[in-house]
Amino acid sequence: MRHEQIETNSGLMLLLILLVISIGGLVEIVPLFYINETVEKVDGIRPYTPLEIRGRDIYIREGCYLCHSQQIRPFRDEWLRYGHYSLAAESQYDHPFQWGSKRTGPDLARVGGKYSNQWHVQHLVTPRSVVPQSIMPNYPWLLNTDLDYSDVADRMRALRATGVPYSVTQQEYDANVKKFGKTVADQLDITQATDNLLKQARDQDFDGIPSRITEMEALVAYLQMLGTLVDFTKYDEGYFTTFR
Amino acid sequence: MAQSSALPAEQYNYDIVRKFTIAAMVWAVIGMSVGVYIACELAWPFLNFDIPALTFGRLRPVHTTLVIFGFGGSALFATSYYIVQRTSQARLAFPWVAEFTFWGWTGGVALGAITYMLGLSQGKEYAEFEWPLDIAITLVWVCYFAVYVETLRRRSQPHIYVANWFFLAFIVAVALLHIFNNLAAPVSLTKSYSLFPGVQDAMVQWWYGHNAVGFFLTAAFLGMMYYFVPKQAGRPVYSYRLSIIHFWALIFLYMWAGGHHLHWTSLPDWVSTLAATFSILLLMPSWGGMINGIMTLSGAWDKLRSDPIMLFLITSLSFYGMSTFEGPLMSLKSVNALSHYTDWTIGHVHSGALGWVALISFGSFYHLMPRLYDTRMYSQTLIYVHFWLATIGIVLYITSLWVAGIGQGLMLRSFDDYGNLAYTFIETVEFMHTPYIWRALGGAFFVSGTLVMVYNMVMTVRAARHEQAAIEAKLAAKLAKA
Amino acid sequence: MFDWLMWFTRMDNSKPLALVLFFGAFCGVLIYVFSSKRRAERLESYKYIPLLDDAPRQPDTASASDRSQTRKVMDNE
Repeated sequence: MRHEQIETNSGLMLLLILLVISIGGLVEIVPLFYINETVEKVDGIRPYTPLEIRGRDIYIREGCYLCHSQQIRPFRDEWLRYGHYSLAAESQYDHPFQWGSKRTGPDLARVGGKYSNQWHVQHLVTPRSVVPQSIMPNYPWLLNTDLDYSDVADRMRALRATGVPYSVTQQEYDANVKKFGKTVADQLDITQATDNLLKQARDQDFDGIPSRITEMEALVAYLQMLGTLVDFTKYDEGYFTTFR
Repeated sequence: MAQSSALPAEQYNYDIVRKFTIAAMVWAVIGMSVGVYIACELAWPFLNFDIPALTFGRLRPVHTTLVIFGFGGSALFATSYYIVQRTSQARLAFPWVAEFTFWGWTGGVALGAITYMLGLSQGKEYAEFEWPLDIAITLVWVCYFAVYVETLRRRSQPHIYVANWFFLAFIVAVALLHIFNNLAAPVSLTKSYSLFPGVQDAMVQWWYGHNAVGFFLTAAFLGMMYYFVPKQAGRPVYSYRLSIIHFWALIFLYMWAGGHHLHWTSLPDWVSTLAATFSILLLMPSWGGMINGIMTLSGAWDKLRSDPIMLFLITSLSFYGMSTFEGPLMSLKSVNALSHYTDWTIGHVHSGALGWVALISFGSFYHLMPRLYDTRMYSQTLIYVHFWLATIGIVLYITSLWVAGIGQGLMLRSFDDYGNLAYTFIETVEFMHTPYIWRALGGAFFVSGTLVMVYNMVMTVRAARHEQAAIEAKLAAKLAKA
Repeated sequence: MFDWLMWFTRMDNSKPLALVLFFGAFCGVLIYVFSSKRRAERLESYKYIPLLDDAPRQPDTASASDRSQTRKVMDNE
């Protein structure tokens, strides 16, 4: 075939271009959905609770991922600074993923439980009052704005459509009980979404204002669970490397 | 739109080219200014002013969208519509559809920026548009494809010139990337969740993200290069055969390289190793393109001394060569371990975006505008001024971010004698303060250069209007006498 | 005798196989493009396309000489 045949025929050229550009993506992406080793089998990972979902939405709304990663790499300094490297399993219910690409601030993959709720609230409202050299913006409005949780069930339904095991039917609920245990399965029940959200906010009062449920409440709830689901003492290191 | 086919200038549809060129310059000024502003926010955080819409997290997507899709996209629409007409020697097909692509694209970009400031975002870098805007953009893109391909089909020149191959690949690839990366389950008009989970979402996103660079910011701008460098030099491109090889190699290899954004993450190692391998291979077609562009001047190097537009074009190719060398280097796992998550990446992107994309666009605009308005540039000197402001700006920008990025990378991985971490994270933030100021200054230089260009362009168009008016007045006077 | 064919059926070998195929295709393109002098002349003649577009309007000297060159090449075909 002469190259002239391609360059004098726009249809042929289009077809060849499509063929040539498709190969790379097909080879690299399609297997990720089918190869079992892509995601580790680990206990403890669960989808987000209704309050955490709303917190994650706010995290995305404010563009936190543009300065904070949620992906710890297997290096000694990161181990010392942040903890165990991130597993694929830990973000298996993340839509979208929030691994980030830049650390203008520190990694947040295991920030959960490292600071008190009170510290988080103060740090988000005025970062420089706790870390003087910080360059993070103040987020005072998180504490002034009441959380809109009216559509939290809709949000869970959309996530369910993407494959996250939130339950609508009794069957799905039973499957969740089997997989995650009753406490978690209750949280994943879409029909109880609003009650669950209110209950978690009331019980744990992340924002320190018992009378209100603010956006701060949701965001801190989300931050406080990040990276806390897997009990790494239960696995020896060799196990995870079989998945890499 | 005047459509008297008697005038030779009306052989081609220049109206749409003018519109997109002007839009590109407007987006350049706004988008780059937002860039300088958020650079200042990193140096002086009080600039966030506790106003949600002005915080770094919301303005950063505004900056990237306005410069990539606003400035870059409009520049590509303008030049591709110009090039496809001239190299096909055919008038643009479907003028009203082309007109729609202008309003659709401009409106889409503007709405995107506004919605980000309101806090609506998909949370995927460079793909922050929420789903209704994604659909609108897809529609515009399909129209673009139709206009472009139909114009090609109506060509009176039997051959499709190289520049058009690159534009075709760009249009097809961007459609593919945009559609797959933005698949999502909507909650409401303003909120959706990506269809893919965690690790798969990451791979799809960086397959998109890297090829947004590969096809949007590279292949398409190579199309621009393949037309405007030979035209401005008045001599054909160095080697047509080299362009055949580097075109097919480039579009094949780019699609594999996305995984290098995910080295050392939870992405399986085989993908990132494959991506790194292809990233290194990618050096060859990239440099093939650069050599083809620069060597076009072989035997006429003196043009660099007499022609400031040539200076823009050739310098942009040099930056292209530099950043396509830096890229494969940073895709090596060992280098990436240091560079990833730091400002080195940001510096690298800007040596490509400012050095290559913006400079080649500016060079093309200086070539294009006088032809679109049938006149000469208002001031040659101001073109030189723009060139030096831009070049100084880029050099300041990338060197300061080398310092910030490599410095932070080294600090984060250093240990004291007892094996403890030598620095806390916040100490690295403190260290980056000075480089951040220099970076903002570099950006400011670049924007002021762009403003000089806009002034030069406005004066050029005004002079053209005056000339036109004078000629018409003369004609009218003559007619009145007769 | 045909045992070697089994090599192709194993998934592990898909990578070297793909590598050989792609590299083969690349070499094919290289050979096609650079092997024959006549083909080279023919291909190189197309690079004048962008300089032909405003032929009737501005007859500046550089592109005029380029144009005559193009014509010569085309005549040879």
